[in-house]
Amino acid sequence: MDFGIQNQTDEQQQANKEPSNQNGNEGNKKQTGCCAFLTIEFYTPYFNVTETDVLQRIQGTFLPLRPDFLNLIRGNPDLWGPIWINATLIFMITAIANLRQIDEEKENQSFVISYVPQATALLYIIAFGTPIVLAAVMKFLGVDLSFFQTICLYGYSMSTLLPITILCYFQNELFLWLIIAYGFANSSLFLIINLKEELDKLQIQKKYIIIGIVVTMQLSLYLFYKLVFFSYVKE
Amino acid sequence: MDYTNQKNPQNYSQMEDLKTLDLEESVSETIMRDLKMIAYKLKYVLIPKEQEDNGKELRNWDLWGPLIFCLALAMTLSFKADSTTNSSKSDVFAIIFVLIWVGAFVVTLNAQLLGGKVSFFQSVCLLGYCVFPINIEAIIIAFIGSYLPFVVKLIPVIICFAWSAYSSVGFMASLVPPHKKKLAVYPVFLFYLFLSWFSLIV
Repeated sequence: MDFGIQNQTDEQQQANKEPSNQNGNEGNKKQTGCCAFLTIEFYTPYFNVTETDVLQRIQGTFLPLRPDFLNLIRGNPDLWGPIWINATLIFMITAIANLRQIDEEKENQSFVISYVPQATALLYIIAFGTPIVLAAVMKFLGVDLSFFQTICLYGYSMSTLLPITILCYFQNELFLWLIIAYGFANSSLFLIINLKEELDKLQIQKKYIIIGIVVTMQLSLYLFYKLVFFSYVKE
Repeated sequence: MDYTNQKNPQNYSQMEDLKTLDLEESVSETIMRDLKMIAYKLKYVLIPKEQEDNGKELRNWDLWGPLIFCLALAMTLSFKADSTTNSSKSDVFAIIFVLIWVGAFVVTLNAQLLGGKVSFFQSVCLLGYCVFPINIEAIIIAFIGSYLPFVVKLIPVIICFAWSAYSSVGFMASLVPPHKKKLAVYPVFLFYLFLSWFSLIV
Protein backbone atom coordinates (compact mmCIF):
# COMPACT_ATOMS: atom_id res chain seq x y z
CA MET A 1 0.00 0.00 0.00
CA ASP A 2 2.67 2.52 -0.88
CA PHE A 3 0.32 3.87 -3.49
CA GLY A 4 0.21 7.05 -1.49
CA ILE A 5 3.76 8.16 -2.27
CA GLN A 6 3.26 7.85 -6.00
CA ASN A 7 -0.03 9.72 -5.68
CA GLN A 8 1.69 12.76 -4.30
CA THR A 9 4.33 13.10 -6.98
CA ASP A 10 1.76 12.52 -9.72
CA GLU A 11 -0.44 15.09 -8.11
CA GLN A 12 2.30 17.67 -8.00
CA GLN A 13 2.89 17.18 -11.70
CA GLN A 14 -0.79 17.37 -12.45
CA ALA A 15 -1.33 20.45 -10.38
CA ASN A 16 1.27 22.21 -12.50
CA LYS A 17 0.09 20.95 -15.86
CA GLU A 18 -2.65 22.33 -18.08
CA PRO A 19 -5.80 20.20 -18.12
CA SER A 20 -5.08 16.77 -19.44
CA ASN A 21 -3.79 16.22 -22.90
CA GLN A 22 -3.49 12.57 -23.64
CA ASN A 23 -1.29 12.76 -26.69
CA GLY A 24 1.42 14.94 -25.25
CA ASN A 25 0.92 17.79 -27.75
CA GLU A 26 1.33 20.26 -24.96
CA GLY A 27 1.35 23.97 -25.54
CA ASN A 28 -0.22 23.86 -29.02
CA LYS A 29 -3.18 26.16 -29.31
CA LYS A 30 -4.67 24.35 -32.28
CA GLN A 31 -4.47 20.62 -32.30
CA THR A 32 -3.32 19.24 -35.59
CA GLY A 33 -2.30 15.77 -36.59
CA CYS A 34 -4.10 12.53 -37.10
CA CYS A 35 -4.98 12.05 -33.46
CA ALA A 36 -6.21 15.57 -32.78
CA PHE A 37 -9.74 14.35 -32.17
CA LEU A 38 -8.52 12.36 -29.18
CA THR A 39 -7.47 15.44 -27.22
CA ILE A 40 -9.71 17.53 -25.01
CA GLU A 41 -8.74 20.80 -26.61
CA PHE A 42 -10.27 19.64 -29.89
CA TYR A 43 -13.72 19.49 -28.31
CA THR A 44 -13.56 22.50 -26.02
CA PRO A 45 -14.88 24.98 -28.64
CA TYR A 46 -18.06 22.93 -28.81
CA PHE A 47 -18.95 23.54 -25.18
CA ASN A 48 -19.14 27.27 -25.52
CA VAL A 49 -22.72 27.74 -24.36
CA THR A 50 -24.52 28.96 -21.28
CA GLU A 51 -27.56 27.52 -19.62
CA THR A 52 -29.89 30.04 -21.23
CA ASP A 53 -28.55 29.05 -24.66
CA VAL A 54 -29.23 25.40 -23.95
CA LEU A 55 -32.77 26.10 -22.77
CA GLN A 56 -33.44 28.25 -25.83
CA ARG A 57 -32.25 25.47 -28.10
CA ILE A 58 -34.42 22.91 -26.37
CA GLN A 59 -37.42 25.20 -26.68
CA GLY A 60 -36.64 25.52 -30.38
CA THR A 61 -37.14 21.81 -30.86
CA PHE A 62 -40.72 21.87 -29.66
CA LEU A 63 -41.83 24.21 -32.42
CA PRO A 64 -40.56 22.39 -35.50
CA LEU A 65 -42.33 24.51 -38.06
CA ARG A 66 -40.15 27.51 -37.35
CA PRO A 67 -36.66 26.87 -38.69
CA ASP A 68 -34.99 28.97 -36.01
CA PHE A 69 -32.86 26.19 -34.69
CA LEU A 70 -30.29 26.07 -37.41
CA ASN A 71 -29.83 29.80 -37.13
CA LEU A 72 -29.41 29.45 -33.40
CA ILE A 73 -26.63 26.95 -33.73
CA ARG A 74 -25.09 28.07 -36.96
CA GLY A 75 -22.03 29.68 -35.52
CA ASN A 76 -21.86 27.69 -32.37
CA PRO A 77 -22.90 24.03 -32.41
CA ASP A 78 -22.58 22.52 -28.99
CA LEU A 79 -22.06 18.99 -27.72
CA TRP A 80 -23.26 19.52 -24.16
CA GLY A 81 -26.91 19.25 -25.20
CA PRO A 82 -26.70 15.95 -27.11
CA ILE A 83 -24.68 14.21 -24.41
CA TRP A 84 -26.68 15.25 -21.38
CA ILE A 85 -30.15 15.19 -22.92
CA ASN A 86 -29.54 11.53 -23.72
CA ALA A 87 -28.17 10.84 -20.25
CA THR A 88 -31.28 12.41 -18.74
CA LEU A 89 -33.41 10.27 -21.02
CA ILE A 90 -31.69 7.09 -19.88
CA PHE A 91 -32.46 7.95 -16.28
CA MET A 92 -36.06 8.87 -17.07
CA ILE A 93 -36.68 5.68 -19.03
CA THR A 94 -35.46 3.60 -16.08
CA ALA A 95 -37.39 5.63 -13.53
CA ILE A 96 -40.69 5.77 -15.41
CA ALA A 97 -40.54 2.11 -16.44
CA ASN A 98 -39.94 1.16 -12.82
CA LEU A 99 -42.73 3.39 -11.55
CA ARG A 100 -45.11 1.67 -13.95
CA GLN A 101 -44.19 -1.63 -12.40
CA ILE A 102 -45.11 -0.69 -8.88
CA ASP A 103 -47.74 -3.00 -7.60
CA GLU A 104 -48.72 -2.33 -4.01
CA GLU A 105 -50.04 -5.80 -3.34
CA LYS A 106 -46.95 -7.71 -4.34
CA GLU A 107 -44.32 -8.40 -1.68
CA ASN A 108 -40.62 -8.10 -2.48
CA GLN A 109 -41.21 -6.71 -5.91
CA SER A 110 -38.21 -6.64 -8.19
CA PHE A 111 -37.78 -3.93 -10.76
CA VAL A 112 -36.23 -4.10 -14.17
CA ILE A 113 -32.84 -2.46 -14.44
CA SER A 114 -31.68 -3.97 -17.70
CA TYR A 115 -33.08 -0.93 -19.47
CA VAL A 116 -29.98 1.03 -18.51
CA PRO A 117 -27.50 -0.66 -20.85
CA GLN A 118 -30.16 -1.09 -23.54
CA ALA A 119 -31.21 2.53 -23.42
CA THR A 120 -27.60 3.72 -23.35
CA ALA A 121 -26.75 1.73 -26.44
CA LEU A 122 -29.89 2.74 -28.32
CA LEU A 123 -29.83 6.42 -27.53
CA TYR A 124 -26.16 7.03 -28.02
CA ILE A 125 -25.99 5.05 -31.24
CA ILE A 126 -28.92 6.94 -32.67
CA ALA A 127 -27.88 10.30 -31.30
CA PHE A 128 -24.27 10.07 -32.43
CA GLY A 129 -24.05 7.28 -34.97
CA THR A 130 -26.87 8.46 -37.21
CA PRO A 131 -25.63 12.04 -37.55
CA ILE A 132 -22.12 10.87 -38.32
CA VAL A 133 -23.41 8.59 -41.06
CA LEU A 134 -25.80 11.26 -42.28
CA ALA A 135 -23.10 13.92 -42.36
CA ALA A 136 -20.84 11.58 -44.32
CA VAL A 137 -23.63 10.86 -46.82
CA MET A 138 -24.43 14.55 -47.12
CA LYS A 139 -20.82 15.49 -47.68
CA PHE A 140 -20.66 12.82 -50.35
CA LEU A 141 -23.75 14.24 -52.00
CA GLY A 142 -22.44 17.76 -51.81
CA VAL A 143 -24.21 19.42 -48.88
CA ASP A 144 -22.21 21.80 -46.76
CA LEU A 145 -23.07 20.91 -43.18
CA SER A 146 -20.39 20.00 -40.67
CA PHE A 147 -20.38 16.89 -38.48
CA PHE A 148 -20.86 18.84 -35.33
CA GLN A 149 -23.86 20.75 -36.58
CA THR A 150 -25.57 17.49 -37.52
CA ILE A 151 -24.71 15.93 -34.16
CA CYS A 152 -26.04 19.01 -32.41
CA LEU A 153 -29.25 18.92 -34.46
CA TYR A 154 -29.87 15.24 -33.76
CA GLY A 155 -28.99 15.50 -30.10
CA TYR A 156 -31.45 18.30 -29.52
CA SER A 157 -34.15 16.49 -31.50
CA MET A 158 -34.03 13.87 -28.75
CA SER A 159 -35.42 16.42 -26.35
CA THR A 160 -38.87 15.71 -27.82
CA LEU A 161 -38.60 12.41 -25.98
CA LEU A 162 -38.30 14.12 -22.59
CA PRO A 163 -41.99 14.96 -22.06
CA ILE A 164 -43.03 11.84 -23.97
CA THR A 165 -41.16 9.62 -21.55
CA ILE A 166 -42.85 11.27 -18.60
CA LEU A 167 -46.25 10.84 -20.25
CA CYS A 168 -45.50 7.16 -20.87
CA TYR A 169 -46.19 6.60 -17.21
CA PHE A 170 -49.87 6.25 -18.01
CA GLN A 171 -51.09 2.79 -18.78
CA ASN A 172 -53.52 3.38 -21.60
CA GLU A 173 -52.21 1.69 -24.78
CA LEU A 174 -54.01 4.01 -27.17
CA PHE A 175 -52.67 7.07 -25.41
CA LEU A 176 -49.14 5.71 -25.57
CA TRP A 177 -49.35 5.03 -29.29
CA LEU A 178 -50.73 8.51 -29.85
CA ILE A 179 -47.95 10.29 -28.06
CA ILE A 180 -45.32 8.10 -29.67
CA ALA A 181 -46.75 8.99 -33.05
CA TYR A 182 -46.78 12.67 -32.13
CA GLY A 183 -43.17 12.46 -31.00
CA PHE A 184 -42.13 10.77 -34.21
CA ALA A 185 -43.90 13.41 -36.29
CA ASN A 186 -42.49 16.28 -34.26
CA SER A 187 -38.87 15.19 -34.32
CA SER A 188 -38.92 14.12 -37.96
CA LEU A 189 -40.43 17.46 -38.98
CA PHE A 190 -37.90 19.27 -36.86
CA LEU A 191 -35.01 17.51 -38.53
CA ILE A 192 -36.35 17.80 -42.05
CA ILE A 193 -37.31 21.45 -41.83
CA ASN A 194 -33.95 22.36 -40.41
CA LEU A 195 -32.14 20.42 -43.10
CA LYS A 196 -34.46 21.76 -45.81
CA GLU A 197 -32.47 24.87 -46.45
CA GLU A 198 -29.37 22.89 -47.19
CA LEU A 199 -31.17 20.11 -49.01
CA ASP A 200 -32.96 22.40 -51.45
CA LYS A 201 -29.68 22.88 -53.20
CA LEU A 202 -29.67 19.24 -54.25
CA GLN A 203 -31.49 17.24 -56.85
CA ILE A 204 -34.78 15.61 -55.92
CA GLN A 205 -33.48 12.03 -55.68
CA LYS A 206 -30.61 12.95 -53.40
CA LYS A 207 -32.92 14.98 -51.24
CA TYR A 208 -35.20 12.03 -50.78
CA ILE A 209 -32.33 9.72 -49.91
CA ILE A 210 -31.44 11.92 -47.02
CA ILE A 211 -35.00 12.47 -45.91
CA GLY A 212 -35.49 8.73 -46.14
CA ILE A 213 -32.55 7.99 -43.87
CA VAL A 214 -33.73 10.54 -41.34
CA VAL A 215 -37.29 9.29 -41.23
CA THR A 216 -36.31 5.62 -41.05
CA MET A 217 -34.00 6.15 -38.13
CA GLN A 218 -36.56 8.20 -36.24
CA LEU A 219 -39.20 5.57 -36.89
CA SER A 220 -36.98 2.79 -35.60
CA LEU A 221 -36.11 4.83 -32.51
CA TYR A 222 -39.73 5.49 -31.60
CA LEU A 223 -40.89 1.95 -32.34
CA PHE A 224 -38.09 0.54 -30.22
CA TYR A 225 -39.04 2.96 -27.48
CA LYS A 226 -42.62 1.84 -27.42
CA LEU A 227 -42.15 -1.85 -27.94
CA VAL A 228 -39.23 -2.48 -25.64
CA PHE A 229 -39.42 0.03 -22.86
CA PHE A 230 -43.07 0.74 -22.38
CA SER A 231 -44.93 -2.27 -23.64
CA TYR A 232 -45.75 -3.70 -20.23
CA VAL A 233 -49.29 -2.82 -19.28
CA LYS A 234 -50.98 -3.75 -16.05
CA GLU A 235 -54.27 -5.51 -16.41
CA MET B 1 13.76 3.85 12.52
CA ASP B 2 11.97 4.10 15.80
CA TYR B 3 8.31 3.22 15.69
CA THR B 4 7.62 3.02 19.38
CA ASN B 5 6.65 6.61 19.93
CA GLN B 6 4.62 7.34 16.81
CA LYS B 7 1.71 9.43 17.89
CA ASN B 8 -1.52 9.62 15.95
CA PRO B 9 -0.91 12.16 13.17
CA GLN B 10 -2.53 15.53 13.77
CA ASN B 11 -3.16 16.22 10.15
CA TYR B 12 -2.57 14.71 6.79
CA SER B 13 0.86 16.17 6.16
CA GLN B 14 2.18 14.35 9.20
CA MET B 15 0.77 11.19 7.75
CA GLU B 16 2.96 11.78 4.69
CA ASP B 17 6.16 11.73 6.76
CA LEU B 18 5.17 8.45 8.24
CA LYS B 19 4.66 6.92 4.84
CA THR B 20 8.36 6.57 4.16
CA LEU B 21 8.72 4.26 7.14
CA ASP B 22 6.14 1.79 5.98
CA LEU B 23 8.33 -0.96 4.61
CA GLU B 24 9.15 -2.49 7.95
CA GLU B 25 5.87 -2.23 9.78
CA SER B 26 3.20 -4.88 10.13
CA VAL B 27 0.45 -5.25 7.58
CA SER B 28 -2.26 -4.35 10.05
CA GLU B 29 -0.55 -1.06 10.78
CA THR B 30 -0.36 -0.22 7.10
CA ILE B 31 -3.98 -1.07 6.54
CA MET B 32 -5.14 0.87 9.60
CA ARG B 33 -3.20 3.89 8.49
CA ASP B 34 -4.80 3.83 5.06
CA LEU B 35 -8.22 3.36 6.58
CA LYS B 36 -7.66 6.31 8.86
CA MET B 37 -6.63 8.38 5.87
CA ILE B 38 -9.81 7.43 4.07
CA ALA B 39 -11.89 8.24 7.15
CA TYR B 40 -10.14 11.60 7.47
CA LYS B 41 -10.79 12.51 3.85
CA LEU B 42 -14.38 11.36 4.16
CA LYS B 43 -15.03 13.64 7.10
CA TYR B 44 -13.33 16.44 5.24
CA VAL B 45 -15.42 16.02 2.13
CA LEU B 46 -18.80 15.37 3.69
CA ILE B 47 -18.84 17.69 6.66
CA PRO B 48 -18.50 21.23 5.34
CA LYS B 49 -17.31 22.69 8.65
CA GLU B 50 -14.06 20.74 8.39
CA GLN B 51 -13.03 22.63 5.28
CA GLU B 52 -11.19 25.56 6.78
CA ASP B 53 -8.48 25.79 4.14
CA ASN B 54 -10.81 26.16 1.16
CA GLY B 55 -10.44 22.69 -0.20
CA LYS B 56 -6.66 22.47 -0.45
CA GLU B 57 -6.79 19.08 1.20
CA LEU B 58 -8.54 17.78 -1.88
CA ARG B 59 -5.30 17.98 -3.83
CA ASN B 60 -4.16 14.84 -2.05
CA TRP B 61 -6.43 12.64 -4.04
CA ASP B 62 -6.56 8.88 -3.75
CA LEU B 63 -8.77 6.28 -5.37
CA TRP B 64 -8.91 3.74 -2.52
CA GLY B 65 -11.81 5.50 -0.85
CA PRO B 66 -13.93 5.68 -4.00
CA LEU B 67 -13.15 2.05 -4.78
CA ILE B 68 -14.21 0.89 -1.32
CA PHE B 69 -17.47 2.84 -1.45
CA CYS B 70 -18.21 1.74 -4.99
CA LEU B 71 -17.65 -1.93 -4.13
CA ALA B 72 -19.68 -1.60 -0.94
CA LEU B 73 -22.60 -0.05 -2.80
CA ALA B 74 -22.46 -2.58 -5.64
CA MET B 75 -22.30 -5.49 -3.20
CA THR B 76 -25.10 -4.18 -0.99
CA LEU B 77 -27.39 -3.74 -3.95
CA SER B 78 -26.50 -7.02 -5.57
CA PHE B 79 -27.05 -9.00 -2.35
CA LYS B 80 -30.52 -7.53 -2.26
CA ALA B 81 -31.23 -8.25 -5.89
CA ASP B 82 -33.65 -11.02 -6.51
CA SER B 83 -31.82 -13.59 -8.56
CA THR B 84 -34.92 -15.34 -9.83
CA THR B 85 -36.61 -12.63 -11.82
CA ASN B 86 -35.75 -9.63 -13.91
CA SER B 87 -32.35 -8.58 -12.69
CA SER B 88 -29.70 -11.04 -11.61
CA LYS B 89 -27.11 -10.25 -8.95
CA SER B 90 -24.24 -9.99 -11.41
CA ASP B 91 -26.23 -7.63 -13.65
CA VAL B 92 -26.83 -5.30 -10.75
CA PHE B 93 -23.20 -5.38 -9.63
CA ALA B 94 -21.94 -4.71 -13.14
CA ILE B 95 -24.35 -1.86 -13.79
CA ILE B 96 -23.57 -0.09 -10.52
CA PHE B 97 -19.82 -0.51 -10.89
CA VAL B 98 -19.74 0.73 -14.46
CA LEU B 99 -22.18 3.53 -13.63
CA ILE B 100 -20.03 4.88 -10.83
CA TRP B 101 -16.70 4.83 -12.63
CA VAL B 102 -17.88 5.79 -16.10
CA GLY B 103 -20.21 8.36 -14.57
CA ALA B 104 -17.42 9.96 -12.54
CA PHE B 105 -15.20 9.94 -15.62
CA VAL B 106 -17.83 11.58 -17.84
CA VAL B 107 -18.82 14.20 -15.26
CA THR B 108 -15.17 15.17 -14.78
CA LEU B 109 -14.59 15.24 -18.52
CA ASN B 110 -17.62 17.49 -18.87
CA ALA B 111 -16.21 19.93 -16.32
CA GLN B 112 -12.89 19.98 -18.14
CA LEU B 113 -14.53 20.51 -21.52
CA LEU B 114 -16.48 23.43 -20.14
CA GLY B 115 -13.20 25.08 -19.35
CA GLY B 116 -12.56 24.00 -15.80
CA LYS B 117 -8.95 23.65 -14.84
CA VAL B 118 -8.83 20.75 -12.49
CA SER B 119 -6.82 17.64 -12.14
CA PHE B 120 -8.80 14.73 -13.49
CA PHE B 121 -8.24 12.36 -10.59
CA GLN B 122 -8.90 15.00 -7.97
CA SER B 123 -12.40 15.36 -9.29
CA VAL B 124 -12.99 11.62 -9.63
CA CYS B 125 -11.76 11.23 -6.05
CA LEU B 126 -14.22 13.82 -4.76
CA LEU B 127 -17.15 12.32 -6.66
CA GLY B 128 -16.21 8.90 -5.32
CA TYR B 129 -16.08 10.05 -1.71
CA CYS B 130 -19.45 11.74 -2.05
CA VAL B 131 -20.97 8.37 -2.93
CA PHE B 132 -20.77 7.51 0.76
CA PRO B 133 -24.23 8.89 1.73
CA ILE B 134 -25.74 6.78 -1.06
CA ASN B 135 -24.04 3.81 0.62
CA ILE B 136 -25.72 4.67 3.89
CA GLU B 137 -29.15 4.89 2.34
CA ALA B 138 -28.63 1.63 0.43
CA ILE B 139 -27.83 -0.16 3.68
CA ILE B 140 -30.81 1.39 5.47
CA ILE B 141 -33.16 0.36 2.70
CA ALA B 142 -31.62 -3.09 2.40
CA PHE B 143 -32.30 -3.85 6.03
CA ILE B 144 -35.66 -2.27 6.72
CA GLY B 145 -36.95 -1.55 3.23
CA SER B 146 -39.23 -4.51 2.90
CA TYR B 147 -41.29 -3.37 5.88
CA LEU B 148 -41.91 0.10 4.57
CA PRO B 149 -44.19 1.37 1.84
CA PHE B 150 -42.57 3.00 -1.14
CA VAL B 151 -43.29 6.55 -0.07
CA VAL B 152 -41.64 6.18 3.33
CA LYS B 153 -38.53 4.75 1.69
CA LEU B 154 -38.24 7.99 -0.25
CA ILE B 155 -37.34 9.98 2.86
CA PRO B 156 -33.83 8.62 3.57
CA VAL B 157 -33.23 8.49 -0.17
CA ILE B 158 -33.95 12.17 -0.61
CA ILE B 159 -31.92 13.17 2.45
CA CYS B 160 -28.84 11.21 1.40
CA PHE B 161 -29.13 12.32 -2.19
CA ALA B 162 -29.28 15.96 -1.08
CA TRP B 163 -26.26 15.43 1.18
CA SER B 164 -24.16 13.88 -1.63
CA ALA B 165 -25.17 16.48 -4.15
CA TYR B 166 -24.56 19.38 -1.79
CA SER B 167 -21.08 18.14 -0.86
CA SER B 168 -19.87 17.79 -4.39
CA VAL B 169 -21.65 20.70 -6.03
CA GLY B 170 -19.60 23.31 -4.16
CA PHE B 171 -16.38 21.93 -5.57
CA MET B 172 -17.65 21.41 -9.11
CA ALA B 173 -19.23 24.83 -9.36
CA SER B 174 -15.99 26.49 -8.35
CA LEU B 175 -14.12 24.93 -11.25
CA VAL B 176 -15.85 26.44 -14.26
CA PRO B 177 -16.47 30.03 -15.39
CA PRO B 178 -19.58 31.58 -13.78
CA HIS B 179 -21.83 31.55 -16.83
CA LYS B 180 -21.40 27.80 -17.23
CA LYS B 181 -21.88 26.78 -13.62
CA LYS B 182 -25.24 25.12 -14.06
CA LEU B 183 -23.94 23.17 -17.04
CA ALA B 184 -21.21 21.67 -14.86
CA VAL B 185 -23.44 21.08 -11.86
CA TYR B 186 -26.38 19.40 -13.58
CA PRO B 187 -24.42 16.21 -14.53
CA VAL B 188 -23.31 15.80 -10.91
CA PHE B 189 -26.91 16.07 -9.82
CA LEU B 190 -27.98 13.53 -12.47
CA PHE B 191 -25.18 11.13 -11.42
CA TYR B 192 -26.24 11.03 -7.77
CA LEU B 193 -29.89 10.92 -8.73
CA PHE B 194 -29.23 7.82 -10.79
CA LEU B 195 -27.37 6.12 -7.94
CA SER B 196 -30.04 7.05 -5.41
CA TRP B 197 -32.73 5.70 -7.68
CA PHE B 198 -30.91 2.40 -7.91
CA SER B 199 -30.55 2.10 -4.17
CA LEU B 200 -34.27 2.70 -3.88
CA ILE B 201 -35.32 0.32 -6.60
CA VAL B 202 -33.15 -2.73 -6.24
